[in-house]
Amino acid sequence: MMSYETGHGGSADASAIEARGVGRKYRRGWALQDCSFRLPAGRICGLVGPNGAGKTTLMAIAANLLEPTTGTLRVFGAAPESAEATRRTAFLAQEKPLFRRFTVAETLRMGRELNPGWDQRAAENIVRAGNVPFDAKIGTLSGGQRTRVAFAVAFGKRPDLLLLDEPMSDLDPLVRHELMGTLLAEAAERGTTVLMSSHMLTELENTCDYLLVIAGGGLRLAGEVDELRTAHTLLTGAHSDGRTPPELAYHTVVETRISGRQFTSLVRPDGPVTGPWQAGTPNLEELLLAYLRSPEAPPLIGPSSYVAPQAVAA
Amino acid sequence: MSTMTSTGSTGSTSSDSARTEAGRGRGLRLGGMTWLVWRQHRAAYWTLLAATAVAVALMVYQRQQMMTFLDGYGYPHLKDGWEEKFDHAPLNSTAQLLQLLPVLIGVFLGAPLLAGDLESGTAKLVSAQSVSRVRWITTKLGLSALVVVVCTTAVSAAFTWWWSPVRPSSYSLSWYDDAGFDSSGPMPVALTLLTVVAGVAIGMLLRRTLLSMVVTLGFAVALRLVWSHFRLSLGDVVTVSTHNGVKGENVYPNLPDSANLVDQSYLTASGDTIGWDSCNAATEKAMNACLEKAQVVGWSVDYIPMSQMSGMQWLGASILLALTAGIVAFVILWGRKRLV
Repeated sequence: MMSYETGHGGSADASAIEARGVGRKYRRGWALQDCSFRLPAGRICGLVGPNGAGKTTLMAIAANLLEPTTGTLRVFGAAPESAEATRRTAFLAQEKPLFRRFTVAETLRMGRELNPGWDQRAAENIVRAGNVPFDAKIGTLSGGQRTRVAFAVAFGKRPDLLLLDEPMSDLDPLVRHELMGTLLAEAAERGTTVLMSSHMLTELENTCDYLLVIAGGGLRLAGEVDELRTAHTLLTGAHSDGRTPPELAYHTVVETRISGRQFTSLVRPDGPVTGPWQAGTPNLEELLLAYLRSPEAPPLIGPSSYVAPQAVAA
Repeated sequence: MSTMTSTGSTGSTSSDSARTEAGRGRGLRLGGMTWLVWRQHRAAYWTLLAATAVAVALMVYQRQQMMTFLDGYGYPHLKDGWEEKFDHAPLNSTAQLLQLLPVLIGVFLGAPLLAGDLESGTAKLVSAQSVSRVRWITTKLGLSALVVVVCTTAVSAAFTWWWSPVRPSSYSLSWYDDAGFDSSGPMPVALTLLTVVAGVAIGMLLRRTLLSMVVTLGFAVALRLVWSHFRLSLGDVVTVSTHNGVKGENVYPNLPDSANLVDQSYLTASGDTIGWDSCNAATEKAMNACLEKAQVVGWSVDYIPMSQMSGMQWLGASILLALTAGIVAFVILWGRKRLV
């Protein structure tokens, strides 16, 4: 059983992000609705969801690019538009925008001129690791080289919260591996919180210890990866004419799939999971796919990420 | 603002590039947001400054040529006949060209100023740094306005200086025509600033560079049309009347040199005015009978003297600058919340 008793104020670790009832409406409808969670500081958090689920919107609100239509979001307890939050947050947008006519050196100088805590050596090391010439214009670089420079600008800011929107989408596997290594080493050394959206589920499995899943504009899963996995059981057994065993109904069924004479169910057990089946702990990919395929399944917000949905005057 | 300089320990490449950048600054070391805005728009700023230098030099040279000619006629007390020999072409065509300043600067500097960043996504890049969005917008507007004011002031001052010796002559460029009025004094500065900030606002709302440039061009043309219509109402119309009849010698009132005639009509004994063409008739006799019947006693003429030109220009410029300030406030308030 999940316990929802953990009060956010009493927990020892601080919140990097705290969202209460956050929603954002565009002209064509709600992109994000009633999103309440907290992300404890120091975690590497994967943000997963189908295209158009509101991942970018959520990140843009945390990065002070958008204002939420409803609810409030706090970054280290401060409003995203506050000077403190802007200084502590770095955001790498999906399209990796950079000034095309600037040289690489000038791009890093921009970071130096606009950020009080700029770390020139860290930024230069990232650029140098990719053999990107400092006097090359951004417009002449390949997509991967540009992403590397954009990474360098985000890292050089020395943020406490790093927001990465599909950071690896245009990198080859080798570079992806190298930059991920840099990211994890930096984050571990400095205790940086990372919120990273990605479609690459296997990659998330290796890097993330925290997870947020958004689908259909709302939060589906939130919590520590291990906590979320152990809260679920993957049941495999034989079905009779498409009917699953009646014992299954005692539990919260997230998804049931039938292939051949077998059924596979991902459930959140309510009590012992004895029955005519084999039980096991799902891996991260099985868990994510089940939730992404079943938007109607009840959401699960782990105790470490639970906040009361409505903001109470502090 | 930021004074962080790279030291040798951060690698030779960065300190080299920092040195060359500082060298390019010609002793003036820009920092922080000012550096970024100058670096991003330096091509436009340098083009403007260079074009201004060339234009001012040309106008100074033209004035020297003109003064040599006028001195031959005993300037400042010009002898008769100078006007027929005077070459008006340089003055007239320059005034026509100067009218393009607001359009060109508004379209090529104002419209892309924010639209370019919104279209390419670099607005997100700047917003992700530690400096507030209001600082970014105000620096962009402030630096661009500074360059625009410096350039248009220099050009306008040079043109006004060149024109002033022959301005009283009704034979040269008239002060009340758009070419002369809008190309001298504070007018080029005010018209250009308004067009530029309108272009910035248009670009901010449309978020597409090319489209904003086209719309800004349309705005500049519309502004010129409205302004041409509105310009002469800035002056105080002076009315002068005579009571010596309307026909014959010396019955028409004396107007000052180069006055702008607004309206002329017949004055009747009762003090009313009637249109000067209301007694046009085929024969002299019929016309006299008509004048008699309407009891026309003289002329009534409305005009604006040239002495009002400067006052009209400053009044017009303040109205345009007030509009400019309103648009700037709108850009800052809107951009603070919605600019990504």
